[in-house]
Parts: sequence; C-alpha cells; structure tokens
Amino acid sequence: MQASELLQSYLVDDHTWDEMYYDASVRKQYQKALAFLQQLSVDELNKKEELAKRLFMSQGITFTVYSSGEGIEKIFPFDIIPRIITSAEWSFIEKGIKQRLTALNLFLKDIYSNQFIIKDGVMPAQMIYSCPHYLREMHNFPVPYDIYVHISGIDLIRDSDGSFYILEDNLRTPSGVSYMLENREITKRIFPDLLPQNNVRSVTEYPNILHRNLVSLSPRQVANPTIVLLTPGIYNSAYFEHTTLARLMGVELVEGKDLVVDNHKVYMKTTMGLQQVDVIYRRVDDEFLDPLVFDPNSLLGVAGIMSAYRKGNVAIVNAVGNGVADDKAIYTYVPAMIRYYLNEEPILKNVPTYHLDKAEEREHVFKNIENMVIKKTNESGGYGMLMGSAASEKEIIEYKEGVIKNPREFIAQPIISLSSCPCYMNGSLQPRRVDLRPYALCGPGGIEIVPGGLTRVALKEGSLVVNSSQGGGSKDTWVLGTP
Amino acid sequence: MNSSGFPLQGVRGFHMLSRVADSLYWMSRYMERADGILRMLKINYASSQDDIQEFSWKPALKIFNFLSDEKADDLAQNSRAVLQYLVTDKENSNSVLNIVTQARENGRSVQDHITKEMWQCLNDFYHAVRSDKLIAFLQREDPITVLDSLIKHGVLYFGTTDVTMSRGEGNAFINIGKYLERAVQTADILDIKFSNLQYEPDTPADTTYWKYMLMSISGYELYLKTYRSGFNATNVMEQVLLNETFPRSVLYSVNHLHHYFERLKNDKNMVAYNQVDFMIGKIKSRVKFSTSQSILQEGLHHFLTDTKSSLYQIATAFSHNYFSHG
Repeated sequence: MQASELLQSYLVDDHTWDEMYYDASVRKQYQKALAFLQQLSVDELNKKEELAKRLFMSQGITFTVYSSGEGIEKIFPFDIIPRIITSAEWSFIEKGIKQRLTALNLFLKDIYSNQFIIKDGVMPAQMIYSCPHYLREMHNFPVPYDIYVHISGIDLIRDSDGSFYILEDNLRTPSGVSYMLENREITKRIFPDLLPQNNVRSVTEYPNILHRNLVSLSPRQVANPTIVLLTPGIYNSAYFEHTTLARLMGVELVEGKDLVVDNHKVYMKTTMGLQQVDVIYRRVDDEFLDPLVFDPNSLLGVAGIMSAYRKGNVAIVNAVGNGVADDKAIYTYVPAMIRYYLNEEPILKNVPTYHLDKAEEREHVFKNIENMVIKKTNESGGYGMLMGSAASEKEIIEYKEGVIKNPREFIAQPIISLSSCPCYMNGSLQPRRVDLRPYALCGPGGIEIVPGGLTRVALKEGSLVVNSSQGGGSKDTWVLGTP
Repeated sequence: MNSSGFPLQGVRGFHMLSRVADSLYWMSRYMERADGILRMLKINYASSQDDIQEFSWKPALKIFNFLSDEKADDLAQNSRAVLQYLVTDKENSNSVLNIVTQARENGRSVQDHITKEMWQCLNDFYHAVRSDKLIAFLQREDPITVLDSLIKHGVLYFGTTDVTMSRGEGNAFINIGKYLERAVQTADILDIKFSNLQYEPDTPADTTYWKYMLMSISGYELYLKTYRSGFNATNVMEQVLLNETFPRSVLYSVNHLHHYFERLKNDKNMVAYNQVDFMIGKIKSRVKFSTSQSILQEGLHHFLTDTKSSLYQIATAFSHNYFSHG
C-alpha cells in the first residue's frame, strides 16, 4: 500500500483498537473503500463533505439552537468516511444483543409480577425499590405478548483488544435511528456505486419491521388499526426523527394535545371528530406521559392514558416502566439475569462496574480515580459524569462529596479506551473514537436487528465522549454481507 | 361522500388531525402571501426605475403592513430601504423572511403530511431568504435578480405541491388557505391602488400606472388581449374582480375556495359544513352577479370592504369549525 497524502497523519494510539489499521496494514474490510478514497483528490473529498452538509440542510435534518431570540439551524456533524463491520463481527453482535434483550424482557416481566429474581436471591430487593424508574403503576399488569422492550438501542464499545463490551442498555425511548437511515441515504449520494461494490447490507427495512410490529400489537381486531407516534413537539431536539419515522411508516404524528381519553379509550381529534387510537409509539418519557398518574404539570402527555393502557384498550410502545432495566446500577446484574433466566453464559461482556454504595468498592474507585469514569445511575446523554483522567483536582473533590451523600445514585467503571475509526478532517484521515448503537426490534415474532446502526464519533482529538450533546458526530455504519 | 363522489379520507381510512389541518392551511396562506409580496415588489421596483409621476412606494407599504403614515412616508423615499424592510427585516412581522419562516414552521410540524419534496422546497426557500449573501445582494446589486430568485423558490413550491401532493383532505386544506389568502390580497391591492385615485375611475391616469399594477398580479397580457381599447380604470377593475379566467381575480379565487371547500363535505360534520358553505356561497354569488357598473354605483371601496369582511368571517368560522375539535 502506497503512503498517500490522505494517510500521512493517521497515527494510531498503541493501546487502542483501530477499526481500519492492524499492524501497520489495512484490515481487509476497509481495503476497497480506502483504495476508492485514495484516488480522490482533497478537493473532491472537500466537495463531497460540502455536498453532505448541503443535503442535510436542504432536507431539514437539523436541530435548532435558540439564542438571542432567534433560532439558528444546525446540523448534527456527519463524518463522510463509513465505519465498516465484517459479517463475522456482526453475527456475534447480533447473537449477543438478542440474548441480552431476551433476558431483559424476562426480567421486566418478572420484576413487575412474581419477582422470582429477588426471591431466589439473585438480586437484592433494595436494588429495585431504590430505583426511581421502578413504577408501581405497572405492577401486575400483563402487557401484550409480554413484550416490554419493543425498541432498544444498546450501546457497544470495543476495548484495546478488540472485544465488544456493552456500555449501556437503552430501553426507554432510544433515539438516533433516523440518523442510521439518513446517513445511509447521504452515502448513496456522495459515493455513488460504493455501497454495492462493497456488498453492504441494507438498513431500509427498519421502518417496515417496526410498523408491522406496531400493527400486531393493536388491541382491537380491525383491518386498519390507528397507530400514532406521540412526540413532545416541534421544539424537541429529536423532532426530525419523529417526523421521519412517522413518514416512513405512514402513521399519524401526534402531540399530547391531539389526543383525548374518554371512557378508558384514547382518541385523536380530527377534522371530522374523534377517532379511536389503538397503538401509541411514544417518544415522551414515562414521567410526562400522564399528568393524572405521574408529573401533574406535564403538558406533553395525555390525561387518563395510563388507565386506557391498563384496561388494555391501547398499546404503548415501549412499555411504561422500562427504566428499571436500563438503570446503570441494575446494569451490573444483567449477566446474572442471563444466567438466571436463560441458563446461558453472556455472549457480550459488561464493562466492570463498581457500586459506590458498597464501601470497599467505593474505596477502590476513589483510590484509582484517574482511571475511572463515574456516572449517575439515572442520567443519560453524557450528563453528570466525571472522567477521572480529565477532571481537575477540585472537580474530583466536589464530585466525591456528591457521591458520598447519595452513593446509590452513582456507579464507576474503569475508563475503556474505545476503538478508533478514520475520520476525514481538514484534508486527511485521522483516527477518532467511536461506539456503536444497533437498533433491535422486538415483536410477537421475535427479535430482529437491521444490519447496521448508529456509529457515534468523538470528533475532538483524543476525546472519549461520543454524545451529540458533548460535541460528538455520527458516521454511516456498514455491515458487510457474507463474502 | 363529497361532491366528486369519493369519500374523502386519508389513505389509511381516517381523517386528518385538526392541528395538522390548521398547519397545512396556514403554511399555504403564508406561501401565497410571500408570493404576492414578492411579485408586487418586483413590479413596483421596476416602475420606480421608470419615469412615471404617480409612482410611490406608499401603497405597497400599506398593503402588507400596519405602518404609521409618518413612518411609511419616511421609508417610501428610498427604494432599497423599502426592499430591505419588506424582504429581509427581522423586526417586520410581515417581511418575506418572517412569512417564509412561518410557512416553514407550519410545514415542519406536518412534515409527514406534505411530501418530502415539498418540505425540501420550504427548507431551501427558508435558507435562501436568510442567507447573508442575499441580504448583501439586495442592498448593492440588481434587486430584480434577487426577487426573481426568491419568486422561483415559491413557484417551485407551488409546482411541487401540484405534482406530488395527493388529492386528499390535506390538499383541500392547502388550497382553501391559498385561495382565501389570494382573494383577500387581490381585494387589498385593488382597494389601495384605487384609493390613490380617490375612486374617480374616469380620472385620466398615466397608462403606466395601470400597466404596472396589472403586471404586479400577472394580469397585463390578459388585459391587452381582452380590452383592445387601451387603459381604462373600469376595465382594470372588471378584470381584477370579475374575470373568471384570470387566476388572481377575486371571482376566480372565491370559485376555487368553494370548489376545495366542497371536498370537505362529510356526513360526520354536516352542521359545520353547512354553516361555512352558506357563507362561501353567499360571497360567491355576490361577486359573480355583480357588474362593473353595479359596483361603481355601490362604490368600489364599499364593495371591497364588504367583500373582505365576508372573507374574514369565513376564515374565522372555518377555523372554528375545523381546527378546534374536542
């Protein structure tokens, strides 16, 4: 391989798994794509980057930042170089996620009914009752087909030896799938013919599978059940995603104020009067869903929707109360759940996690704090966490005080380095850290995962934080077909 | 069943959300308004460069804004300032910039009910009218080039809507908004242009005055073909109000308003339908069975004021009956 200008500044960190490079040579799955990129000039690549930006802009794939009274449209940063996953890697990931989700679903059913897992001493009861996302409102309510997690976005990372770890299970209202779909559309435009040449598997089935699953959940046996996607509204940062999914599935996009509950049935307000709703794919969090049951100040939800749900007159997707299963402290018990419910060894590993309410573990973490990341158990999006390697002494001391006050609200993990992947930066390729979020859909027919997902990338050099709220971007994610 | 014999429902067999209908209607009204302002500005600018004594920016400023006389007088001295105020001024709620923003915000909340192509048109228009390049261009270069490029964005939206939008309930709401807005706009333009002449249709005005007025609503060529005897205020009035084939006339707009409204007829909503249908039918007959002579007898200003107030009442009753269910 000739050293081209493009690769001159591609310096892989020794202790990092690089997705493209191995022992100074290019991994097989990247060879074709890289050869294609190398025959393009910097000028051409810049033009492609420009085209990608323009396409995002003109399709309104933007979010609005409000400052000094006016809205400024921004696009989520998109890196034009795809992240490539081999078919062998994918089938491993797929098997692992299916196993994990099966166990998590059984856990939710169990924990909201018989609670065998507590009675058998696998998990302490205190773990459950101290979790703010455990909702008594869901107790002894059989959800349709025993499915709680219809849609999940489980985050995976790769340590320095290349093995996959589960970073977190997102089982409530995981977002980002529209970027999986749109990023692929953009790649089709900026790199004509490259996808078929590389035998990349398609992700376009996602909305069809989801729609089919939603239809199958309808409590009424009618030919055309009414399915709606409930959005918090136009000011939500994921609003674009809500409209995209509604459009791709051909379902109605509604806000809380469009719905009304009468006699334990949910209706939407149309130009010709009320019309009964059968299935709600909600993108509103549990606590805002029903002001009569949860936060009474919520304007995003629908009064009475929980009663309609419990009567079985409407299906809600994902089920209410899932937060107890993706809580960061409960996370440590998932391998035990897999063994307990499935009698199998976990395929995908957990990141070692320390409970800070256990004194000896807390001590260990505090002693090695420069190699630890401490997270709040009920926060997501990269908020409220401390990177031991990057924090100042003062920050550490303040954070420790917070931990000691409420140890149940924190967990710690050793800093996992995250694999790196080539990104196009100012005329050359440079390694940046990535994670992977595949989207799994669970319906009465089983679990399906479209081959792909969202690769989030930390665009700052050396950064390990990929969240979009913290300066992260995304990439198109290719899963290659069997060679 | 509606008048065309098809049950008018969504493709999935249910009716449109009131909120969605509301947004489609306003998206459409705002787009029609933006188009009207841009065309009017283009022609007014052209006539400001021509040697006519009657030209003033004041009518243009008054049609679309609630400026005080004093402020309008001030602004009217300077073509570039007027253009800046009416096209890109962020403070002016009726500037093209703000109107297009409104249209796009309405479109944004119903993206799954308009086609993706339409949404892209709205988006491109929005980004175009906000670009710094355009603002600078409007100040220094040929404004007609700028206005033309913006008009094209609008035309692209109208064409795309026509070619891609399914002929369901949503399309009916879009067209109801469009023709209601157009009828009001045309009545406004006529009212203000004639008020300049103190309603003396026989005042011998500069023919260029009428020429530019007709051009601003794309009616100049039709006028030449219809009336061979040169310019005459009564004829201009007749075409703009009563010509059934002139797409900007009040009669044409009201006819189409009625046509699209009839598509909403449905057993489930007869009381509301009948009420609005009655109101539209009444104004339609009033315009249709008027002649230029009867209007002059009644007084043009009176006729126009009456027409506009009927249209406003229709808009109010319509939104009350169709957008505020539950």
